[in-house]
Amino acid sequence: MEPSITTTRSRQLRRISLALALVFACSLSATALAKETEAEKAARQAAAQEKLLQVFVSDPYLELSTGPGRGYPVFRVVERDASVDVLYRRTDWFKVRDEHGVEGWARARDMRRTKLADGTPFVFNLGDRDGFTSHDWEIGIGGGDYGGANLISAYGAFSLTDNMKVDLTLSQFLGNASNGYKAELGITHVIVPEWRLSPFLELGTGVVHIQPRRTIVLPNDRTDQTAYVGAGLRFYLTRRFFVRADYRWHTVFTSRDDNEELEEWKVLIACFF
Amino acid sequence: MESSNRLLLLAATLCATVMLTGCASFRWPWSKDKAVEQQQTEEQAAAEEAAEEADTTPPRVIEPNVARRKIKTPKIDNENWEIGVGAGFLSIEDFGTNPTYAGQVTYHVTEDFFFRADLGQSTAGRTSFENLGGDIELLTGDERRFTYYSLSLGYNFLPGEVFLGRDTAMNSSFYVLVGIGSVDFAGDDRLTLNFGAGYRVLPTDWLAISLGVQDRVFDSDLLGESKLTNNIEMLLSATVFF
Repeated sequence: MEPSITTTRSRQLRRISLALALVFACSLSATALAKETEAEKAARQAAAQEKLLQVFVSDPYLELSTGPGRGYPVFRVVERDASVDVLYRRTDWFKVRDEHGVEGWARARDMRRTKLADGTPFVFNLGDRDGFTSHDWEIGIGGGDYGGANLISAYGAFSLTDNMKVDLTLSQFLGNASNGYKAELGITHVIVPEWRLSPFLELGTGVVHIQPRRTIVLPNDRTDQTAYVGAGLRFYLTRRFFVRADYRWHTVFTSRDDNEELEEWKVLIACFF
Repeated sequence: MESSNRLLLLAATLCATVMLTGCASFRWPWSKDKAVEQQQTEEQAAAEEAAEEADTTPPRVIEPNVARRKIKTPKIDNENWEIGVGAGFLSIEDFGTNPTYAGQVTYHVTEDFFFRADLGQSTAGRTSFENLGGDIELLTGDERRFTYYSLSLGYNFLPGEVFLGRDTAMNSSFYVLVGIGSVDFAGDDRLTLNFGAGYRVLPTDWLAISLGVQDRVFDSDLLGESKLTNNIEMLLSATVFF
């Protein structure tokens, strides 16, 4: 049976009205969303504004570059006694916003000569010798030898004091007889952190996972606990870099009758921050 | 007369007594009186003391009403870390060129140098030996998985800007890197050396798009003799700073 014209029309009307309602609802929700996001944005900006540090230029002017690097052109200068808000820092550059809302990158060396609102100089850590002596974090990568196997190593350390650090080392070793991974948590004692070439002692424990290579007949993979004592040297290179070389003497607590003793040495290139 | 003489003598004796003994009630006009001197020095000392007191505690004429502003320095956000993902092609020597996917974490130490960790995976294709030899399978499915990581030290150079149209300028730079790592391929782990170069563009300060080429070199004895294999990877990646 063919539908009557009225039913067809009413269906069309219903569809149109439905579609219109949908569009209306969508637009409403969209505007609501937009309003919300605008409000949120404003709130966020206000919150951010409160938290931002304001510094005053005390040099004749402060140069702003387009990017955080030497090569990027200077596109603006902020004159003496004007203020800038410090947004964030990347390496030795600060992203700042001036009083006109223009954002640019100022170099740390120049920012060091700005003043806070109370007239005191703006101080922050620079990557230099003092930073090598006293810092919070360090990370490094490198390689070496672990019981005759090639060693790839990465470490991170947190300084409890200038002398004492807690470090986590993750390594993979690749040898002729076996491959494996190890993770170690230890304490490092830097004897004289002020020295450029500075010796340290270390002590720690960890786990080692050894996978014998399939060409050699040996029991299955095994995971053992390990402990180590070690000593090493740190040498400050430049900026934030230093070299860290150490020797560790491991005892692997195997499930066999005898414990295994392994020697490890490695050289890492590291940085502090 | 006698009485007047006696009076005169008495007066002379009195005068002599007074003048010669140095009575305190009499003084010569040229002589300095010690008492006065003492009094003067006492006064001077008192004045000096007063002056000294004045130096240490000034008279409070105006009460200072200046409160020093206390600046609480907010912690400045450091954005030296960069994390992202990439996709591209990896040419595994003897096993053809295949798609690869990788993740990377970068720490920027200075504007020039950075540390980078890459972790990627690809699947090796068939060697020409397998293709020509019919049913020969050198590796099982699992063994064809080529998983690699590397720890590298990189150097940014030739920083500059690229211009898109008239109004858009984006920062850019080239980089080179070298590192060590490992590859898990054909059921074995191998030590790799990697080196490469790339080009990156930063559409905003927090986003970087980079195109990099790296050669991952390792010793392989899969096809009989041991040889150094070069595995060239080309990766397009997007990373964000945090």
